[in-house]
Amino acid sequence: MAMPQRGGSRDREGKTAGRKKFFVRRRKVCKFCAEKLEYVDWKDVKLLQSFIPERGKILPRRISGTCALHQRKLQTAIKRARSIALLPYVTD
Amino acid sequence: MRLYDIVVLLIPDLSEEEAAKVTADYRKILTDGGAELVRDEPWGRRKLAYPIERKRDAYYHHFQVRSEPAAVAETERRLKLSDQVLRHLAVRADEELKRSAKAAERQKAKAARRPPRPVAPPVSEAGAEATPAERGE
Repeated sequence: MAMPQRGGSRDREGKTAGRKKFFVRRRKVCKFCAEKLEYVDWKDVKLLQSFIPERGKILPRRISGTCALHQRKLQTAIKRARSIALLPYVTD
Repeated sequence: MRLYDIVVLLIPDLSEEEAAKVTADYRKILTDGGAELVRDEPWGRRKLAYPIERKRDAYYHHFQVRSEPAAVAETERRLKLSDQVLRHLAVRADEELKRSAKAAERQKAKAARRPPRPVAPPVSEAGAEATPAERGE
């Protein structure tokens, strides 16, 4: 043991191992790809709600990990659901 | 023939029976126009996510129809005119479904073409562990 290993061994990304403290970052996976859902149903309020944080905004891709294709579909689905008051435009 | 999803919101001032009657009217307009009902579901009285015309809830009804565009256009025209309809939404569903079916097929074909994935050597873990050790010497 020569160098202090500060959580470096647990880091899967490898390149900055042993430098700084690291979280074990869970790899984000697109929910729709994982469950093989091609079509995002705008009538499925429960599903859509999981992409709507408190403010009523659409959860960004960088946080949810949704792939570009599915984020686009999700976006139209949410907007449709909003238009018939299944989901809010704003909440405060 | 195209597949459409139509959701209708009726004002909450109606009773259950009246709401059923109004939806029956629209069902008739659809079928008279040559539409074939695939789904016909009342969602019942639901709370609205935001007030519309000062109303806080509405009767929802969902139709899924296989129809020519004209029948849906006519139904939409009537929906717009009615005072008992708070909101409605009619969208085509077949394009999306077709596209997703195609994508699923493509994926299947791809999986078939590619031979089963060889077991990858555990490069990442070995690499991560080796680097600090090497640096230490």
